[in-house]
Amino acid sequence: MNSLLGQTNLWEAFDVGRDLFLFSPMIAMVCTMLLIVACPIVIGRGTRTISVAASFGIAVTFFLAWRVMGTVGDAAVSGFSAEPFLGLLVADKLSVGFQLLLMVFLAGVSLLWLMGSARTERNAPEFFILLIGSALGMSLMVSSANLLTMVIAIEMASIPSYAIVGFDKRDRVGAEASLKYMIFGAVCAAIMLYGTSLVYGLVGSLSMTEIAAFTVAQMSGGANVTLLGVALSCVFVGIAFKISAVPFHFWCPDAFQGAKIEVTTWLSVASKAAGLVMLARFMSMMCAAVPSELNMNLLTPLAWVIGVLAAVTATVGNFAAYKQQSVKRMLAYSSIAHAGYMMMATAVFIHPSASGAGAGMSAMLMYIVIYMFMNLCAFGVTAMVSWEAGTDDIEGFNGLIRRSPLLAVPMVIALMSLIGMPPMAGFIGKWWILVALGQTGTLLGWSLVVVASVNTLISLYYYMRIVVQMGIRDSGRRPAFSSPLSGLALVNVCAVVLLVLFFAAGPFKERVAGFSTSLYSVTVTSPVSHESLAVADQEAGQ
Amino acid sequence: MNLLTAIVFLPMLGAVACLVVPKNLVRQVAVLSSAATLGLSLWLFPTFLGGGGSDATAIFGTSYGTLHHVIRLPWIMGDSFSIEFFLGVDGLAFPLVVLTTLVSFLACLASWNFNSWKVNKGIRAYFFLFLLLETGMLGVFVALDFFLFYIFWEVMLLPMYFLIGVWGGERKEYAAIKFFLFTLAGSVLMLVALVAMFFYSGDAIAAAGGSVASGYLEGVMLQHGTFDLIELATCPTIQSYFASGSTLFLGMKFATVMFMFLFIGFAIKLPIFPFHTWLPDAHVQAPTPVSMILAGVLLKMGGYGFLRLCYPIFPTGGEVWAYVLACVGVISIIYGGLCALAQTDFKRLVAYSSVSHMGFVLLGIAVMTKAGFQGAMFQMIAHGISSPMCFFLVGVIYDRAHHREINRFGGLWLTMPRYGTMATIGFFASLGLPGMCGFIGEVWVLLGTFDAGAKYPWAYPLAIIAAASVILTAAYILWLIRRVYLGKEREEYKGYLDVSGRETFILASLAVLCIALGIFPTQTVFNFTNGTLDLMLQQVTNAIAMVSQSAVSGGLIG
Repeated sequence: MNSLLGQTNLWEAFDVGRDLFLFSPMIAMVCTMLLIVACPIVIGRGTRTISVAASFGIAVTFFLAWRVMGTVGDAAVSGFSAEPFLGLLVADKLSVGFQLLLMVFLAGVSLLWLMGSARTERNAPEFFILLIGSALGMSLMVSSANLLTMVIAIEMASIPSYAIVGFDKRDRVGAEASLKYMIFGAVCAAIMLYGTSLVYGLVGSLSMTEIAAFTVAQMSGGANVTLLGVALSCVFVGIAFKISAVPFHFWCPDAFQGAKIEVTTWLSVASKAAGLVMLARFMSMMCAAVPSELNMNLLTPLAWVIGVLAAVTATVGNFAAYKQQSVKRMLAYSSIAHAGYMMMATAVFIHPSASGAGAGMSAMLMYIVIYMFMNLCAFGVTAMVSWEAGTDDIEGFNGLIRRSPLLAVPMVIALMSLIGMPPMAGFIGKWWILVALGQTGTLLGWSLVVVASVNTLISLYYYMRIVVQMGIRDSGRRPAFSSPLSGLALVNVCAVVLLVLFFAAGPFKERVAGFSTSLYSVTVTSPVSHESLAVADQEAGQ
Repeated sequence: MNLLTAIVFLPMLGAVACLVVPKNLVRQVAVLSSAATLGLSLWLFPTFLGGGGSDATAIFGTSYGTLHHVIRLPWIMGDSFSIEFFLGVDGLAFPLVVLTTLVSFLACLASWNFNSWKVNKGIRAYFFLFLLLETGMLGVFVALDFFLFYIFWEVMLLPMYFLIGVWGGERKEYAAIKFFLFTLAGSVLMLVALVAMFFYSGDAIAAAGGSVASGYLEGVMLQHGTFDLIELATCPTIQSYFASGSTLFLGMKFATVMFMFLFIGFAIKLPIFPFHTWLPDAHVQAPTPVSMILAGVLLKMGGYGFLRLCYPIFPTGGEVWAYVLACVGVISIIYGGLCALAQTDFKRLVAYSSVSHMGFVLLGIAVMTKAGFQGAMFQMIAHGISSPMCFFLVGVIYDRAHHREINRFGGLWLTMPRYGTMATIGFFASLGLPGMCGFIGEVWVLLGTFDAGAKYPWAYPLAIIAAASVILTAAYILWLIRRVYLGKEREEYKGYLDVSGRETFILASLAVLCIALGIFPTQTVFNFTNGTLDLMLQQVTNAIAMVSQSAVSGGLIG
């Protein structure tokens, strides 16, 4: 069993106090779920009570993540014997930073739910437990450094998501969406598990570092690595399902259409972002171990596969969004396209030069931050408009600039940001991805620059359809309306953040670049444990 | 306080003010801020005065890249990255800055009767977007960091989209999205070029040992790739790397491809056949003041882009494509003229005449001769004055008659004598009558094309065709004047009031400039522009000569 974890000196390495501290944000999430379970028994299941409990939990988690963030320095968790949680999980600026961001997003989604569905919904405890449960799964996803935890984390994030899509049990569409989502997810999970078992059979360990070391050893020995490639591809299917990369995106439209808009926001943004960070970690850990002389054989084809997949994902997402009448569905498809842009950056990790890897990672992280804010803004406005109009059809936006300028202006900013027009943050996000791609100087890199740029043009048209409805067409039939103050605050704050992130692009970039390098120091400096494996074998023999 | 920064951001201040002042003061605030911007931009004149005399070198320097009113502030910095807030003017940018502030001010004045428009809602938003657009336009002309240039270029799009889309005519939605799509298609190519030029310049410097002396700044060493447009054009290391036949981009020669990417981006804006189809739609649907801005300033950005980016940075690309571009220019001249001849819509006719006039700009630049560059620049300024005037003339009559059918007009000179006189001046200037501004530009371009015959034999026939096409211009303009202004006075237009004081002011100021530029071309334009243009051309020809010496064969695939 020892080698499953890739460690021999199991309990010696387990510094309980430190590890519990490093993972206190996730523990806080678990406690929040327990608190919400307890609330109906002790106090009552009123929406107000539960929302207070949930916000308390989110705030505590955020605070703890903030504290942890301060202590995970660039090299705090490197070194073999000091790996927290026995190397199953890692805590670095990437994972903790993602948790911080996730809590902000979770708060935004909860706020939307409280303003919207909560008005007719009586099952607040269940909703929040599922929501926070999937957030916990996502936090685990970004912290996994072992295939076993990766599989568990993906399931932890997915299973509450299946339930939350069909949360309104009287809604047939939602129930159908939930079923489709679950079947698709189950198949992908099965494939991933199959891949994982193959990997274990081949390597004898599920630790990422050991898998990488094994790959290197096999390749430098000239052995055939086809089976390992198949196994890792199966693992990739599980991740691609979360990212909704083409061709594993078929669950998206129905799930997003059937779910309540708050849930769609959550799933289309947070779960993709978590999947991308996970992919980034997976790739970077694999690549960091591979010496450069093997790059040409292993990494270049891998980069091409991911790059082509990313290009196809972006293009398919954009074209599918073209004809949508439902804004919710349109934004859902657009989020597939954006996942494609971010995947392009992951293709760059594989580039041999360390600077290329760092640039790709920080570009992707920056895009994730921006992506969360612009989608929260766009989905938030769509939610408020659809509550008022009773439908999420694009016609509901008709004349919005007259009817509710405080919704229309942030929406224009969010949409421009999604297109990638300056002076909105979306442009900066896209810019750093293009820079990271250009930095490779390879044919793949420059081709992706062209594909990403052309996709900007493709996406313009459907985003502008919403703008046309808001600003240009006005049948005059729809009356002015006022939205909840907290909702207006939410979308307007997001819009301001989008503008600020553009003008403060320099400091923003510096901060995020710091996150990505800290990740690299973890994986690069942790020694590959050939010796420890040998020791383990000897001990087993004795 | 840097003068250029003030000029660029003053309209933006005005825009914000438009959002907060009481509704009945919005117009005043907008006109005041555009007037103040115009005033500020006139402060640039002293810098460039005397450019024609012996002190030309003092103003324009001895090589391309002498700038005035420079401001450089770091914006986004990194280890191998420096995006700057970098503004400056030289003889290329300065006249266009003044043209922009002038046309914006007059267009703002032309929006004074906003409340009587068909779509007269949202006065705040209108002037907010209008002034935001002005900031964007000014920024494009003075930004010398490619990244910043791109930002301003894009910032302009959305205000323009809304100005056409919200306050336009019946097919405004179609026209607005078409404008947006076409322009963004160009910007996308420019974005690719932006990333590529940064990394390739970085490669050039790395190949030269990682530290290279700046091409135009004393004592500055370049350590990494740059976005500095002047640096990209003047640094010999970067230039020779860009021009080298073995520098490839996606398997094609770097200079040739990048030139084309940038060229298409700017050609869409200029616009040049076959990228011109957005223009008639946008012009016809846009409200009058927006048409003035479109024709007067936005089209010039294309020409400015050629002169600032394409030619100085990729001279060899210009050489490779010279024949194609000159041909496209001539096609635009003739095609635009023929289309104009066929129009029955007054505004559409003026729009197509712009395509024709802009063909001269491309032809003049493409042949790469002194007179060609100078003529193209002059043509841009001249068109920037005559075409807003023509569009305003259309607007004046549209306000009264509410239609633009040329064949339904007639005898307007009798009904509105002052209007008729102004119209004649405006259209004759557009026609290129000697003594008016349109003439100088066209003649200079034609002379330049003949000059180019020495190096390009194909230039002679092109010059002859282009010269002959002037007859087309005369045909559609004279025919237009006959149908609209001459003839018997018509019953339905009898009661029309002649142009008001405000309208007269706008028309008269443009008319005065039309004549002044035609009679004193040197004192009004050439003195300010030729210094920079000649130095630029000198550099371009040197670069081309150097490459042909090293005998690199021309062709797309290296």
